[in-house]
Amino acid sequence: MRSFKSSHKSGLAALLAAAVLVLVVLTAGCVSTPAEDDVSGTISLAGSTTVLPVAQAVAEVYMNNHQSADIQISGGGSGVGVTAITAGTADIGMLSRDLKDSEKTGNDFKEYVIGRDGIAIIANPANTVSELTLSQVKDIYQGKITNWKEVGGADMLIVLVGRDSASGTREFFTEFVLNKEDAAKTMQELNSNGAVQKSVAQTPGAIGYVSLEYVDNTVKAFTIDGVKPSVATVIDGTYKINRPLLMITKGEATGLAKSYLDFILSSAGQKILSENGFVPIA
Amino acid sequence: MTEHTGTKARSRAVRERAIKSIWLATALISAAAVVFILGYLIYTALPAFAEVGISGFLLNTDWNPTGSTPSYGIAALIIDTLLVTLGALIFAVPLGLAAAVYLSYLAPPKIRDTVKPIIELLAGIPSVVYGFFGMVVLCNFLRVALDIPSGFCWLAASVILGIMALPTIVSVSEDALFAVPKDYQEASLGLGATYWHTISRVLLPAAASGISAAVVLGMGRAIGETMAVMMVAGNAAIIPDPIWNVLSPVRTLTATLGIEMAEVATGSMHYYALFGVAVVLLLITLIVNLASAWVIKRMQTGQKTTPHISNKTKRYLKLAAVAAAAVIFFCFLTASLGILWAIGISAAVVAWYFGRKKISHKVAEKSSFVLIYACTAGVILILAVILWDIFSNGLPVISWEFLTESPKDLGRAGGIYPAIVGTLQLVAGAIIIALPVGIGAAIYLIEYARENFLTKALRTGNDLLNGTPSIVFGLFGFAFFVIYLNWGICMLAGQICLALMILPTIVRTTEEALKAVPNAQREASLGLGATKWQTIRKVVLPSAAPGILTGAILSVGRAAGETAPIMFTAVVFTKRFVSLNVFDPVMALPFHLFVLSTSVPGATAQQYGTAVVLIVIVMAIYLAAIALRRHYQNKLLR
Repeated sequence: MRSFKSSHKSGLAALLAAAVLVLVVLTAGCVSTPAEDDVSGTISLAGSTTVLPVAQAVAEVYMNNHQSADIQISGGGSGVGVTAITAGTADIGMLSRDLKDSEKTGNDFKEYVIGRDGIAIIANPANTVSELTLSQVKDIYQGKITNWKEVGGADMLIVLVGRDSASGTREFFTEFVLNKEDAAKTMQELNSNGAVQKSVAQTPGAIGYVSLEYVDNTVKAFTIDGVKPSVATVIDGTYKINRPLLMITKGEATGLAKSYLDFILSSAGQKILSENGFVPIA
Repeated sequence: MTEHTGTKARSRAVRERAIKSIWLATALISAAAVVFILGYLIYTALPAFAEVGISGFLLNTDWNPTGSTPSYGIAALIIDTLLVTLGALIFAVPLGLAAAVYLSYLAPPKIRDTVKPIIELLAGIPSVVYGFFGMVVLCNFLRVALDIPSGFCWLAASVILGIMALPTIVSVSEDALFAVPKDYQEASLGLGATYWHTISRVLLPAAASGISAAVVLGMGRAIGETMAVMMVAGNAAIIPDPIWNVLSPVRTLTATLGIEMAEVATGSMHYYALFGVAVVLLLITLIVNLASAWVIKRMQTGQKTTPHISNKTKRYLKLAAVAAAAVIFFCFLTASLGILWAIGISAAVVAWYFGRKKISHKVAEKSSFVLIYACTAGVILILAVILWDIFSNGLPVISWEFLTESPKDLGRAGGIYPAIVGTLQLVAGAIIIALPVGIGAAIYLIEYARENFLTKALRTGNDLLNGTPSIVFGLFGFAFFVIYLNWGICMLAGQICLALMILPTIVRTTEEALKAVPNAQREASLGLGATKWQTIRKVVLPSAAPGILTGAILSVGRAAGETAPIMFTAVVFTKRFVSLNVFDPVMALPFHLFVLSTSVPGATAQQYGTAVVLIVIVMAIYLAAIALRRHYQNKLLR
């Protein structure tokens, strides 16, 4: 009994020691050397996961130029972006859709359009079809065309892949491509551009829609009404399927938030935007 | 002298009472949390119920909140959720149970000691990794093997969820089987029963309550899973047609929350309807748990409680049930494998059924063991394939810089140091909050409480908390801590959400561990004059320690890999400085992985690298805890 008790104690002591060790390790990383700078402090961004990567990319460059600024970016989605600004838990909200009227009422939001995002209609590289018209895309998504042979391809069933019903991308797609009509009920719904891209990349019969930046060699983008989707065709206005990316603040932005927004809208910031596959404004 | 001992006895009694009320308080926490969370969800869902009507909400099969005419019927979602969970259990329970039997009775101790921690390791693979593995490997395999247009379907979701539930089922039922007194086995063998008969007729029934706990825990994991299921199920809100068509895309309640909650406009009808979905999810969990508790109770009390049905009717009922099950099973087989396979398998089953009396015990035993070995091998093979996929892709990315630097270029360059620290901080906080509460609650339930309405309510609360999908904790934490208490996105909110999530596992496994301590030990200690608390602290807890540690291990593994509860509450994509302040946000490996895999094109390598680091961290935590458990077990055997 005696030896048992002491070993019990030693076990506890070992646990405590481990806990202390963990704490020490954690504190070790805490040491930071804030340098004096014109703009300093911490701001947080929350919202659309479509905007997140580019906001992050810009923030990294910004923070390299302003050593004591700390910009923290979390996702969640466009809805979370609005909620966080309303509640004051974030300084800047990110949206991949326009503000809804219900969200505008009672809130004093200041909107900044930071760029545009082209939506590419994608298919598996093995698909022999490479050109579609907008009305063909509409018929496919409404289940009126169900086989690729109807649009000049191989005899293969079309697998519809789309985004979830709360997605800003889908909302835009429904409005612009489907004229606000419903898509077929058999459409598979995924919650991110990356998921749609991966799904289409490995399903020979699939069709999907994603942000321009997600068009890589694993999928191919359809030429729509004779126009190939690219940053250039969105800028010159020939590729019509594109939408704005927003940042919002509560009232006019101040301090670090203003400085960061100014940087995104500057030519240096817009260059980072286009390097990440988004479409700069103006 | 008498007065002195009198005061001493009194102060002792006061202390005992105080200790008892502390444990009662901890036990009340989980019930209170459930009531609070459920109340909050119902309150937020009210506008949707008022607009659509409860019956319209539950019975309409049309879920199309952003359609030209929005409709908010969730019947298809409910049915799909049940089908997917059922499929996962059909896949996972036999495999898991076979592996548990192998590990506790057939495996040499050395193999048991190596294989068990490896299977527990499966629990540490984050669900987002399972999801992507399922997406890239499993769905593709199904599409090619079954020659269907798309592999994203009910079958894929059930298999992935089954794999995710396996480690829980194996680990907990193995503990239950191992805890069956050795006397049972010896007595049965001594009566001349074969080893297989002893296992199937004596040891398995004796461990039934622990095994059912394992199944309920596994089911909780399957119902509650969000990230993985929404990546492989196809997510079309339709009822499979015909209903046994396992190749149809389906969409679960959790997946609906997971993919729509993030983007929905706060305060819209769609937003309220999603809270309605969360309420229904909780109610389903409640019903499932109550039903399973009822079944377990019936199983334990035996046939005594069924006086109303005559034996003849019972036999007919049984026959009808078996026939119905056979028809449904045949349809499933036909749908998934084709008519030829279905007939073949059915013929084999029928042949076995009528031929089994003619088979000698030896052959029966041999073939059962072969089946068990095959199942265990299958479990290990699955694990090996997943781990190989992750490690072969991820190891080349790992370097000193990757581990010690902050991420750059959206995580495509640089490292993940702040995410490693953040994950440890989140998990440490969660376990510091949940462990004392969970163990306290279990001590109260097992050692102090008599079975009454209160304990029943506490257990139900705990089970309900266990079934609560992790995404619901995330929603609740976001609405309550982040918005209502105005903490903002911060470490503490995430730690509490994770703690709430792992609390029921800790309570449940601690309860099982305490139950397994023989009553004779308690009586001996009390008889020697020890107080109740002294008995618990010096006798019961040390014996139960290995079981309690198993629960804690599983919890840590789960907490480290979860994305949903921290996504809206605690994490940011990148952070510059590591901070100890609990009101600061943190980076975390699972969220980093999630963003890398869903929002950053061209980061596949870093994604696998992050997954490897996450798994290695979990492995390190497991190994430390397993070493500790073994230490205790050795002490007990001595």
